[in-house]
Amino acid sequence: MACFHSIKEVVSRELGLIRKHPVCVSATIGTMTFCMIFFLTFFKEGMPHDLPIGVVDSDRSSLSRNIVRQIDATQIGKTVSFDSYRQAREALQKGEINGFCVIPPGMYNDVLSGKQPVMTFYVNSLYFVGGALAYKDLLTMTNLTAGGVQRELLLAKGMDIQTMTGLIQPIAIDTHQIGNAGTDYGVYLTNVLLPGMLEMTVILATVFAIGSELKNGTSRAALETAGGSIGTLIVGKLFPYTVLFTAIGLTSDMVMYGLAGFPLAGQIWGIFLGTFAMILASEAVGIFIIGMLPVLRLATSIAALYSVLGFSLAGFTFPVEAMPPYIQGLAAAFPLRHYYEIYVQEAIFARGFGAWSGDMGAMMIFLLLPAIVYERLESAYRLQNFPKK
Amino acid sequence: MKIRSFMRQWISDWYSVFAKELKNIFSDSGVLVIFFLAGLAYPVLYNLIYSNGTLDGMPVAVVDLSGGSESRKFTRDLDATRELSVKYKCEDMGKARSLMENRKVNGIILIPEDYDGLIAAKRQAVISTYADMSSFLYYKNLTMGVNQVMLAEMRDMQSGILPMPVKYEENLPYNRTFSYTIFFLSAALLIVVQQTMFYGVSMLSGTIREEGRYGDLLPGNKSHRGVLRDVFGKSTAYWLIYMGIGIYVAILVPKLFGLPQNCPPGQIMALLFFYVPACVMFSLTFSHLVRHRETVFIMFLFMSPICLFLTGFSWPESSFPGFWEIFSFIFPSTFGVRAFINMNTAGASLAMAGEQIKALTIQFIVYYLLACLLSYLDCKTFEARIEHTVGNDAPDAAGYDIQQPFTDEIIPDKQ
Repeated sequence: MACFHSIKEVVSRELGLIRKHPVCVSATIGTMTFCMIFFLTFFKEGMPHDLPIGVVDSDRSSLSRNIVRQIDATQIGKTVSFDSYRQAREALQKGEINGFCVIPPGMYNDVLSGKQPVMTFYVNSLYFVGGALAYKDLLTMTNLTAGGVQRELLLAKGMDIQTMTGLIQPIAIDTHQIGNAGTDYGVYLTNVLLPGMLEMTVILATVFAIGSELKNGTSRAALETAGGSIGTLIVGKLFPYTVLFTAIGLTSDMVMYGLAGFPLAGQIWGIFLGTFAMILASEAVGIFIIGMLPVLRLATSIAALYSVLGFSLAGFTFPVEAMPPYIQGLAAAFPLRHYYEIYVQEAIFARGFGAWSGDMGAMMIFLLLPAIVYERLESAYRLQNFPKK
Repeated sequence: MKIRSFMRQWISDWYSVFAKELKNIFSDSGVLVIFFLAGLAYPVLYNLIYSNGTLDGMPVAVVDLSGGSESRKFTRDLDATRELSVKYKCEDMGKARSLMENRKVNGIILIPEDYDGLIAAKRQAVISTYADMSSFLYYKNLTMGVNQVMLAEMRDMQSGILPMPVKYEENLPYNRTFSYTIFFLSAALLIVVQQTMFYGVSMLSGTIREEGRYGDLLPGNKSHRGVLRDVFGKSTAYWLIYMGIGIYVAILVPKLFGLPQNCPPGQIMALLFFYVPACVMFSLTFSHLVRHRETVFIMFLFMSPICLFLTGFSWPESSFPGFWEIFSFIFPSTFGVRAFINMNTAGASLAMAGEQIKALTIQFIVYYLLACLLSYLDCKTFEARIEHTVGNDAPDAAGYDIQQPFTDEIIPDKQ
């Protein structure tokens, strides 16, 4: 019971500190609010529309004008016309257009006389999304153009539509996107980026909350409030933050799956649980960092370096299995990686707790990290025995 | 004569501020960690993480309900693409789906029962694909692999009967394989320059504010005429260090890791001559928001990924909502990164990056003036505070040599 009493004391002391120096709390709330607004509005379109695609039309025939119309008709592209290859290439190099196609002179006549003219297209794949979409658009357009000409030829021969389709496009592909039916880029990124921002904030705020007592020389007084137990102190100090982080985390989940209508195949409870576990695991990482390096300024630098890597190593952009083996092992050292796995199983495949219990287990292993630094942190708090400058 | 002595004084002031700032930087381990450990190690780490660049041979499951020679050929061809590897052949969708859920495969290709029949009858057949959308690379690989095979089959079937009226030739000159390494690093390298610099500068100025050493932060000149040279002197120190880091990041790292370098190093150097100063002035300006040493990360670390997105490397600039487009103009990285991608990787010349260079120059001037103004205002407030708190016993105001830190600001109550 004495323990509970001490925790209560520490909590009320911490609330007093927060009231006096709200930077940590306001930065946490500010960061997450900004990020929610940013990611939900930045990718609002879901898929980019009207990407500038260049056309160098040296033919100027009804066929080439038809090609331009076809690109404009797709939602993805919007044509920009250029007089020469050189101009178009420069625009491509400057990133002004995502791709362009060159229609050779006399193309229409060559088509009519069966000479198979060659249309060339160029894509700037340095800009991934724009490049990939422009590439797809140009490919589709070329095939549609070819198909259109073939259709006219066959119609002239008096062929019926069904046979014609079988000949022009013998195989059609019907694509299904599991977990993101609209191929929405915003849904894909925000789902992991927002929790990633939360992980980052939690780690930094934890390091800051524990480390500032060391820096300001108030650690011994803090320890006394906790009845001399570093465990009690940390639980009490982090309690108000945990409540805050959880509130922010669950709000961000509700904003994504409720307000913004992100697809969620499984249960929101699974996502909630994953978020909560990630918060606890991130706090444990924060405690570990400040325990290993009880100098606030070094610990915050290291925490910053660590948490930025979390985004890459979660594996939602470039998959972890395609990274070198030693990096794959490193990825497991980030709570966000496990959160991502939970999210995939729950939000995309709706498989329930059984499927992601392993990742929950991994998150719980993080909770053992503070035990490693328990003694070091206690002596740092009691004796202030670390380099001050 | 007057001008000459003014110039001499100016240069001597500038030099002493410059030397002092360098000393400050090198005597602060936290800043050194950010400047050198982060600045030098991040580019290497990212190269290691993304060393493979592409996701080759992504495992997929084929559900072949047709089981004829045509469908078997389609399956074999899928397996032969660079993108895909047919790891499992399943009898029904249920099995394939459970493989996908267990993350054994990242895509499913369903060949319907009537496939061979339709092909033989020269009618259109439909193949269904199911992509795991947990990463867009899975989707891209599946779509590209299947489309390639589909187009090749189509050409095969049409050959002799229906000639292609138009042929096409595709060129992806700057990143032929859609390599993630080239894509990500081209953008991230210069972000590292701006962000580590901003964090380091803010840590230093936060420390100075926290310790009340305002003499280091503000021009040591009663009449505040020294603001311009003071800010300029400090910026020279960062400029010097970051030209070194910039050359390493933008020229050496691409060389070491075999990234494309389609622009002469001299021109990349020239770009750095515009980008680094803009970053320095940007950092000096915004470091005024940071009042304490360690708070910069809590307050602004989240801006690193945001700045990366604002370069337009991923979500295209032409689709930026208007507000965020304008917001992106705040950061030198928006222009620096675009110029770097276009020059270093797409081989554009410095002249073609004229627009970005112009923007960086404007940023440099605006942020220089802003940094000076903020320093001046800080100076004023500080002076007012001295008079207010210490009254006539103010220490030598010219040096602002106050040992007593502003305890009310930083030290929590001593219990």
